[in-house]
Amino acid sequence: MADMPRALADSKIIIGDTMVLCFVALAVFAVLSIFSAKYRPLFKRSLQCVFLKATLRPCDTGLDEEIKAQSIAGLMKLSPKAANALNRHFQAFSFIFTILFFASLFFAAQGIYNFMIYGNCNGLEGGFCIYSGIAGNNPSLLKPPTDLKGITYGNESANITVVEFGCYVCPYTRSAENDVRGLLSKYGDRIYFVFKPFPLPNHPYSKEAAIAAECANEEGKYWEYRALLFDNQKDVEANGTAALSDVAGRLNLSGFESCMASGRYDPMINVSVSEGDACGIYGTPTIFVNGQAFVGESAAKQAETRIQQLLAQ
Amino acid sequence: MDVKKIKSDFPIFQKRQGLVYFDSACTTLKPRQVIEAQNSYYEEYSGCAGRSAHSIAKKTSDAFEAARERVARFVNSKGESVVWTKNTSEGLNLVVRSLDYSKRKKIVTTRLEHHSLLLPIMEQKRRGIAGMGLIETGPDALVTEEAASKAIDRETALVAIHHTTNTTGMRAPVEKIIKIAHDNGALVLIDGAQGIPHSRFDFSKSGADFLAFSGHKMLGPTGIGCLVGRQEALEGLDTFMVGGETIDTVTMESVAFKKAPKKFEAGIQNYAGAIGLGAACDYLSKIGMANIEEHEKKLAAELVKAIQSIPGSSICGSPDAAKRCGLASFNLKGVSAHQTALMCDSLAKIALRSGVFCAQPAMESMGAGKGAVRASLYIYNDMDDIKALRETLEKIAKLGN
Repeated sequence: MADMPRALADSKIIIGDTMVLCFVALAVFAVLSIFSAKYRPLFKRSLQCVFLKATLRPCDTGLDEEIKAQSIAGLMKLSPKAANALNRHFQAFSFIFTILFFASLFFAAQGIYNFMIYGNCNGLEGGFCIYSGIAGNNPSLLKPPTDLKGITYGNESANITVVEFGCYVCPYTRSAENDVRGLLSKYGDRIYFVFKPFPLPNHPYSKEAAIAAECANEEGKYWEYRALLFDNQKDVEANGTAALSDVAGRLNLSGFESCMASGRYDPMINVSVSEGDACGIYGTPTIFVNGQAFVGESAAKQAETRIQQLLAQ
Repeated sequence: MDVKKIKSDFPIFQKRQGLVYFDSACTTLKPRQVIEAQNSYYEEYSGCAGRSAHSIAKKTSDAFEAARERVARFVNSKGESVVWTKNTSEGLNLVVRSLDYSKRKKIVTTRLEHHSLLLPIMEQKRRGIAGMGLIETGPDALVTEEAASKAIDRETALVAIHHTTNTTGMRAPVEKIIKIAHDNGALVLIDGAQGIPHSRFDFSKSGADFLAFSGHKMLGPTGIGCLVGRQEALEGLDTFMVGGETIDTVTMESVAFKKAPKKFEAGIQNYAGAIGLGAACDYLSKIGMANIEEHEKKLAAELVKAIQSIPGSSICGSPDAAKRCGLASFNLKGVSAHQTALMCDSLAKIALRSGVFCAQPAMESMGAGKGAVRASLYIYNDMDDIKALRETLEKIAKLGN
């Protein structure tokens, strides 16, 4: 028992000394070993080192010293000063690289998760539902739509046109909906509003929902149906056409089922998506106010500010 | 000595341009002459010695025994005094484990010995077969006649000591120790691994009873070594490894063993290695051991000076260069030994050894229990190599200062 404090102190030295380096080496060489046999012996050595350190024994593989010496020697050829700094603060650098390493591991895992769930590596980041992670995320690069076809509302002869590209199954289009409604009620007579359906392929039943909304529009119940769609978004996402029919039932839409079965709105939705593609839409909702684009759940709020500016002119 | 010409005999220098080899105490590089001699056995007459009667077997026997004669000549002894072993360790184990301890039980040695000598002695002690006495040495790692006189007495069966240590390159006063031992009726076993390659050693004249050394530390192949012994002393040893060709006759009741050296050479021997070692002895003799010794003395002085010029450096053992063959172990302040050695390799292709050199008690006695860097040179090193080492060490030392 008398040796316990000493043993603990020793174990701290062992852990703090070069464990970090062995951990990083283990992970790096594990990946490299998959692709090249050259790194497999190094992987084995780093594994042995981590095992020894984890069981509070000193690493006797010499791998940590080798990595340190090679890094410092390599740097010395470029800059003796930098090599000196690396030697002096080697432990700190190792910690930083370890943190970076684990952070990148975390982000990589998150990316994989997002890809599995949302179909892209960025997930729902940025307050909008991503259509294309490759297209970028700069609204100023978006081109305004060339026509005003779609679900319309307001004053057709108004000087201000507001065009929304939205997806009924997108949670951000839903969260912007209150603001959109606010816009319409406040400025309905001074703006011309156009909704262009832009069903995102990575959201289940988004296209079916877009068609269903068009079918409801046929019977003059678009806005009611739209409100219910957003309210029951999770249900639609989970149960698809059954949920869409259920909503239609609540509004007594008599021709809904035959409209859905006819497929007559398929081309129109496709045209709307092509139009969005041409504009460069990368996420929903995207709202254009006289050509100026706003993207994301706050798009309607930003649109309102713009509208106020335009009205004040 | 024309180092450039010598270097051209070593194929490795053509294949590894810029190599600065300072690890000869571990193993030396091999000249073309040795490689060719070894290969000639495999390519021209790859038979058994001393068994079959066909012509290639005869050629093998002749070459094998001629190699024995060459090695014997190299240390001024007779062919029949040379026992082939696989290395120095085997030779040392053979003597320490096969000696008769029925009348005298003590083995005297020093803490400066390589594990190859220290461990067999410690094993005999552990098994209760022999006791151990020490010739005391201080942090300067020098063995003195006085300390030897104190340790060796009438109880001593064997004095087992290095010719030159592998940690400092310093020599023990072997001749004086042999005299003290013999005056007390003890036998003497010399660990010649680091001494025989670097200086002329006259086994007959020295009076030593046993001398063990390795081929690979003197330009020869690995896996071959020698135990040279006085005939009477060899006959006094019990058998060590027995088997084919170690006997005259065998019945199920009794065995009549051959005389030394055959008594100790069980089974097929390392013919190619022995022939290669014979060629190495010829190569070294052609240069002249006196020339080699002089060359190394000059370089050793420069090596010690170079290390001492590095701020924060410390040399293991006495810094007196005159006492050394071409070897020095050292540490740099603030940079570990392994790191120093690895960086020398990375920065300037300088091959150094780092660690405790299989001599942990020796390193601890010099206050370097955590290890050191060792630079050991040989016939293919020159002043340019030492300059390269100094310049590289200067860069590395800045990391720690």
